[in-house]
Formats: sequence, structure tokens, C-alpha cells
Amino acid sequence: MSATYGLYVSKQTAIHRLHPLTKLTYVLTCLLIAWIVPGVWAPYIVLLVGIVPVALMAQVFPNVVQNTIKTTIPFAISLFIVQGLFWTGGTIIQQLGPFSLKEEGLLFAIRGTGRIIIAVSGFLLLSYATRSDELMLALSQKGLPSRISYVILSTLQIIPRFQHKANTILDAQRSRGLETEGSFLIRTRALLPLVFPLLLGSIVDIEERAIALEVRAFGRSGPKTSLLVLHDTNRQRLFRRLLILVSLGVIALRIYLWLAPRFAA
Amino acid sequence: MISLSDVTYHYPRSDSPALSNLSLEIPAGQFCAVIGANGSGKSTLCSALAGFVPHFYRGKLTGSVEVAGIDTAGSSLAELAGTVGLVFANPFNQITGARFTVREEVAFGLENLGVPLAEMEPRIDEVLAFVRLTDLADQSPYALSGGQQQRLAIASVLVMRPKILVLDEPTSQLDPIGSKEVFAVLRDLAATDEATVVLAEQKLEWVATFADRVLVLHKGKLVADGPPAEVLSSLTLTKYGLEPTRYTQAARAAQAAGWRTDETTLPVTLEQAVEFFR
Amino acid sequence: MEKLKRDFNTIALAMIPIAIAINIAVGQIVKALRIPLYLDSIGTVFVGAVAGPWVGAVAGLLSNIVWAFIFGDVTNTVPYAPVAAAIGFLAGVFGKYGWFKSWWKAVLGGAITGVVASLLSAPITFYLFGGVVGTGMDVITAAFRSQGMSMLAANFLQGLATDPLDKAISFLVVYLIIRTLPDRYIDRFSRADDIR
Repeated sequence: MSATYGLYVSKQTAIHRLHPLTKLTYVLTCLLIAWIVPGVWAPYIVLLVGIVPVALMAQVFPNVVQNTIKTTIPFAISLFIVQGLFWTGGTIIQQLGPFSLKEEGLLFAIRGTGRIIIAVSGFLLLSYATRSDELMLALSQKGLPSRISYVILSTLQIIPRFQHKANTILDAQRSRGLETEGSFLIRTRALLPLVFPLLLGSIVDIEERAIALEVRAFGRSGPKTSLLVLHDTNRQRLFRRLLILVSLGVIALRIYLWLAPRFAA
Repeated sequence: MISLSDVTYHYPRSDSPALSNLSLEIPAGQFCAVIGANGSGKSTLCSALAGFVPHFYRGKLTGSVEVAGIDTAGSSLAELAGTVGLVFANPFNQITGARFTVREEVAFGLENLGVPLAEMEPRIDEVLAFVRLTDLADQSPYALSGGQQQRLAIASVLVMRPKILVLDEPTSQLDPIGSKEVFAVLRDLAATDEATVVLAEQKLEWVATFADRVLVLHKGKLVADGPPAEVLSSLTLTKYGLEPTRYTQAARAAQAAGWRTDETTLPVTLEQAVEFFR
Repeated sequence: MEKLKRDFNTIALAMIPIAIAINIAVGQIVKALRIPLYLDSIGTVFVGAVAGPWVGAVAGLLSNIVWAFIFGDVTNTVPYAPVAAAIGFLAGVFGKYGWFKSWWKAVLGGAITGVVASLLSAPITFYLFGGVVGTGMDVITAAFRSQGMSMLAANFLQGLATDPLDKAISFLVVYLIIRTLPDRYIDRFSRADDIR
């Protein structure tokens, strides 16, 4: 097993090689446009123009599609039911037994689903194409405390081990005859013998982990250096500034559209 | 290099001292083994040398502990890090998890000390070669075996070039192969005369082969102190809950059976045993 | 400021990853047992209790962010990070006032925290996701909505259906852990005196 970096998919593409802040700024800009530019289809345009080509370039398109669908479908179903059918007032476009499908609710659900698709696919694109330690280093260089970056990175690494531990305990307790099937009450009662060994065992580890950190001068204040070096270019810096300008422009447009009718009236 | 004078220490909520009137001098370059039964104070001594007693465990410390000219009680853990290196039993918990590869894990201490990149790389290569992990440099620390992780822990501390290295039972949670790998590294360390090392250990056979000096702790007190051949062959060892090495035991049995009755010191290592039985 | 520094000591920093891992592992056991609760903030509540409100808040916040980085599920995690932070913060406040010293106060503290969590989640669900969370819980929202209730109120009531019970159980589990752990482990934490 070589190093694992969360969701990261190791590929040699131009997108992977970009500075983490470039990718982060790009995804955030896409998100902002999808969420605040008016129009039901705005998120879908962002998806086609902004997300899909980059996912293809990064060779993670199938991963993005698969996981976006997995996360978005339950939302979409809920949205179409809750908003489409239970919209108060509105234009009825179809009667479905006791319920009526409303046009306003349907449009709301389409737009809502689009926004969620952008949030999910944008985040996935960023995660698949960016090593989390590089992202954290980039953010540290912008002022994120190194303690926060430590917490995130070390959590990412211990979680697989914890899941393994949890499964071991689950199997062990089952083989000892613990009932993990049956009524709600039986299953809830089964929880304590599962959860307690996990909790108590890990809390004892905390002390040693803290000692290990102190030994490695983690508590020392003062400037830190880094073995990992991020490559940035002037073109990328320019591109990021441009993205920030676009974002500001979109925000300004939104505020204008919001204020204009009020002044007109 | 290390100087303890009249050190007594109580853990919080404890009435009996974990260290009791301990006075001790360890010169630079010495490889010093500390032996004793469970609860004898070995671990507490290690914690005191690295400053975790009293800074981390709190409790009450009297007397003075001085390492590399620094009074530990008057200093902080952050200041002591880099001067005293500590390696302990559980290899897994010594991986910080802050970095994703073996090489980066080794670098973590140097990054915190603010060592420039150009200086960092040769230092990392050097220690990785020393603990024989060069081939695994790009692996995840979590993918290593226990023995490999423990050597990584040693490398991560050594790379900071501490004046004193303290190891608290570094092989007690390892399988025989892992233990052997770690002892091989410790032997190399003992062979270099610059390193000042304090090793708390239960495996007397290993201690006997490379320590310059052996200290015996019993109920927080220093009860024996001398070269390994002398301390480890002593008849009093069993009194402190310690079992002499099998070579010493065999020689003692031979003496009792009347094979060798002359007054030579008993062997503690294989080489000495071969000599003894010739 | 000095006190805050003491709260965020190395022990606290070493604890947060373990707490988040506990959140996720227990959350998954609960899912495996098909129990209709979350119980995914036990670690956060523990951190709040033993290390104070601010460390608890950071643990909650980061827990939700890390969750997204591991499972790729950004919708149910990152937007609700402020709610998770509030849960950790409240656990710290209740800890400070000694509510983890008795089991019924812990349960009550948990229930109150659950109500606050529902209050904070509702506007997030409403404004960001049009009032749905993408799980079976949306049935409850739909039911309230069909009675002519506003979406925001329906979201709040949907939260109330689970959160107070969920957090009460979480607080009780943390109470039991604190009772079970040997003194020497509890002593290491900055708020040890408030909870023992």
C-alpha cells in the first residue's frame, strides 16, 4: 500500500499539476455562479461549461459522475416530491391522484437539484485531483494555523484504521452471541458493547499521540518550513485574480438585480 | 551530559514516589541501559529526562534533572524537543499522521524546528539509510510493520539531532523479527561514540551486548550501577524481579553442578558463554 | 487568551482526530445496526466536555469537513458544520457548569443541545437545499408541509423528531465514558475539574 490521500486519484494530468489554490478558487467560483446567478438552468450551464471539461481533462470524469449521481439522487427525489407536489399555491400542470404537480415547485426542484449537483461535483473534482496535504499546505501558507492542518490530515489517515477497528469489534461481539438483529430496542441495546471498547481503547491512545507530537517540536512557536514544495506560476496567479474578479462581478450583478426593482418602485 | 540530583517524583493522586532520591551522572557518548521490573520507575525516569515529568504528567517533582545543561523543570517541552529525543513502546501512536509518506513523517520534526529545505533533505536521507528504511521512503507510515514503524520513530527523532536519545522499552510491543531489526539499529547507535543514549529495556540479553553501563531500578530507587558484565551476572538480580540471561543461568547451573568452581565472573552474552564453557 | 491557549494544548489537538474518528466509526455502526438515529457526535461531545466549549466547537466544525473529504458527501456535512460546532460548544458549556456530573443532567443537557441543533439546521436545510435533506426524514417534512405548515417550520419540526433524543443519548454515553475512564486519563484534560 502506498500513501493514501483521501479521495485523491493519482493521475499525471495538467489539472493534477495545478497549484491547489488555483483549483480551489476555480471550484468556488463555479459554485458561486451556480448558486447566485438567476435562472433555473444556470447551474446546468456551469456544469457543462465549467465542471465537465475539467473533469475530463483530469481523467476523473467517471468517478465524478458516479459519485455525484449517488449523492444527488436522494436529494432530487425529495425535492421533486416535497417542492413539486406540496408547493403552496402555484400553477397546477398535472393532477396525480390526490396530489397536484405545480409548475413553480417543479422549476424550484430543477434549480435546487442543479445547485446540489454543482456543489457535489465541484467538491469531488477538487478532491480527486488535489492531494489533501498539498491543499492544506497551500492554505497554511495563506494563514490557516498549522494545528488545524495537522488535525485534518491526521484524521484522514486514522479513519480507515478506525473503521477496521469498528468492524473487528462488531464481528467479535456478534460471535459472542450479541444480538445485532431484531427490534429497535434490541439493536439499540447492542450499541453499548460495540461502542464502549472502541471509545475507551482510543482515549488511552490520545496521551501517547500527544507525547509523540511534543517530541517532534509540534508545540514550538516560530516559523516552520516544509519538505513539500508547491509549484505556482505567474499565469496561475493571474488566473486566480481573474476568477476573484469574476466572482465579485457576479456578486455585484446579483445585488444590482436585487436592488434595481426596489429603487424603480 | 545528564545529571540528576536527589530526584523524587510523585504522580498526581499517588502517595508512593515513582522515583525516590535518585542521583545520577551520565557522561556524553555513553550508552546506558536501565533495567528493572514493571513499576520500578524505568518509564518515569525516561519521562523525566525528556521533561514529560513534570510538564506533561504534572505531579510533584523535587531535586533537579539537568540534560545538556538545561534544567528540565525550568524549561518547557517545546524548548526541550530537539535536545532530548524520546522513543516509546507503541510504534503506531508515534506516527503523527500529520504527513503521508515515511520521508515526510521524518521531516515533520525538522519542519517544526524551521530547518531550511536544502538542509532537510540530506539529513533525512542520512537517517533513513541509518535505520534501513530508504526503500520504503515513499510508502505510507501506516503501511509499515511494527518493527519498521519503530525504526521510523527512531529516525524521526534522530533526524532532529538530539543531544540525548531516550528509548523507553522500544521493542516491548514488537514481534521477534521487529525487535531484532530495532536492536540492530540500536547496536549501530552504540557503535558511534557521539550518541548519548538511555535505553529502558527488559530484554537483558540484548542490553548485555551493547550497553556501556547498566542501571538497575527497584521501586524508584537506583540499586545497582556498573558495566553489563558485572551488573547482569550479579546474584542480586532476581531480588529485583529480573531474570538473568540464559547464559548466566546456564553458567550458574554449571557452577552448582560443580563443572566450573573457579571464581570467574559469570557470562551474560553468547560470546562470554562460549568463553566460559571452553 | 491564556486560558484558550491552555484549552488548545497538545492533548486537545491529539484528541480531536480521535474524536472525529469516533464520530464516524460510531455513526457507521449505528447505520449497520439500522438504528434510526445518527449518534455521530459522541466524539465531539466528549471533546467539549473535557476540553471546553472552544475546543468542542473546533472538533465539531472539523468533523463535518473531514467527513466530506472521506466520503465525498459534501451536502450533508460542510453546510451543517456550524451546527456540529454548536453541539461541541454547548457540550463544553454544560461541562463547565458540572452537568456531566450526574446522568440526568447530562441527558437534559443533550436534549437542550438537540433542540438548539434543530433550530440551527432548519434554516440551512431551507435556504441551501430547498427544505430537504435527501433521506427518509423528508417524509416527515412532507407530512407537515401537507398540513399547510411553512417549509421552515416543517424543517424545524423534522429536526425535533430526532435531534433531542439523538443528542440526549450521545451525552449519556459521554457521561458513562467519563465515569468509566481512570482518573489519570481524565486528569490530563484541561477541564478535568469541571466534570469529575
